Amino acid sequence: MDYKFPKDLKYTDTHEWVKIEENIAIIGITDYAQYQLGDIVYIELPDKGQTFRKGDSATEIESVKAVGEIIIPLSGTIMDTNTNLIESPELINSSPFKEGWIIKIKISNKEEASDLLSIEDYIILVNEEDQ
Amino acid sequence: MDIINEPKKTPLHDIHIKLGAKMVHFAGFKMPVQYTGIIKEHEAVRTTAGVFDISHMGELLLEGNDVISFLQYMMINDLNLLEPFKGQYSCMCYENGTVIDDMVYYEEDKTQFRMIVNAGNIEKDIKWLNEHIGERDVKIANLSSARARVAFQGPKSEEYLQPLMDVDLAQINRFYFRKCSLDGNPVFIARTGYTGERGFELSFDVEYATRIWNKFIEIGATPAGLGARDSLRLEACYSLYGHEINDSITPVEAGLSWLVKPKEGIDYFGKEVLIHQKTKGTERVLVGLNLLDKGIIRDDNKIFKDDTEIGYITSGGYSPTLKKTIGLGLVTKQYSEIGQELFIEIRNKRLKGIITSTPFYRNI
Repeated sequence: MDYKFPKDLKYTDTHEWVKIEENIAIIGITDYAQYQLGDIVYIELPDKGQTFRKGDSATEIESVKAVGEIIIPLSGTIMDTNTNLIESPELINSSPFKEGWIIKIKISNKEEASDLLSIEDYIILVNEEDQ
Repeated sequence: MDIINEPKKTPLHDIHIKLGAKMVHFAGFKMPVQYTGIIKEHEAVRTTAGVFDISHMGELLLEGNDVISFLQYMMINDLNLLEPFKGQYSCMCYENGTVIDDMVYYEEDKTQFRMIVNAGNIEKDIKWLNEHIGERDVKIANLSSARARVAFQGPKSEEYLQPLMDVDLAQINRFYFRKCSLDGNPVFIARTGYTGERGFELSFDVEYATRIWNKFIEIGATPAGLGARDSLRLEACYSLYGHEINDSITPVEAGLSWLVKPKEGIDYFGKEVLIHQKTKGTERVLVGLNLLDKGIIRDDNKIFKDDTEIGYITSGGYSPTLKKTIGLGLVTKQYSEIGQELFIEIRNKRLKGIITSTPFYRNI
């Protein structure tokens, strides 16, 4: 399988991608994650203003055959959620890094970003898992 | 020491890999769950035609002078309704009326029947059948691994297939079959299916498997996997063994009381219990439901009427055709009327649902 790995993003070992702009992080799930899940049919988005700590699980993502969750990669407060996904959850499958973005967080502890994976480390992880 | 058997492969396994299928383990086999996507494949079957590898299922040949009387004893449906070139759907039940398996069997002639059974029940079915032959003149041959099986389903299935056939498919009515030639290869083809669309199910010797499958793709059929197979049969409200029927559910509870035949003067496994249930009713019944709140319901989710648990979901999922979440569930008869609102518990939430008429969709 040829998964997409955009170069300008950071990653997690639970298959989220993170785009950091100043103190805002945009988060979604990777191409590998959406492929593993299959056709996504429902997503439960968190509320704006909700706070999470790094490692919390949030946002259940239901596919035809499975359920996934986002593991919050950086502590913070939900600034915005991609409400297009309510009507069109399949955007996560067709455009996991662009139209399929899921949440925007105002980061409370920028130092946590150093735990994120580089693209090289994430590619290694996917190659190991995808046996 | 724990011995875990390596899953078996169907004759079409390598083609599935070549087509990029996502594979899963199912009933001891490596099977394709999807190729391009469950929803896309589901939609292809509903609009044009899809092909499914169903070679994991069991294929038995029952031969002998006593085959019909034997099957009358083992099956709840009535073989008097059959004739040569016709098939019949039935459940095979225990004495207590619960289900051993559901299957279709075809009368090739008075002394030869072909039976297609569920992949996970092949050994169990053969054992049960053999145990009850007694003195009868019946022999059972297991053709499961000698033959491949493919379902060709969709509104365009006949249009796509006809040019390859040496028989007129329009002459084959639902549940009838022919043994004929497909692109020069000998096949058994029946107008049956598990998708709620018009279509056919075929069986043929393994040596023809790859060339027939490749021909199907060439003529325009979309390869479809177990994921779409499940979402299609759920919309059509066809039972899946292990879900709507199993060894603690009877056909009458599962909405299949039409299979329970009087068969005067003929004893069969489960007769007493099932006829009684058919006349008096059962405490729980299978219903169809739509989810009213947003979400997805899954097998085993509990069903509530207010705060009382009244049943559980036997099969649930997203319906690509209806674009809503649907399910089948077993509920207390008192709360089984169409329009009854109830709650379905999914993880830590209770979502609102409503009982609806079934099937959700059929286009046969």
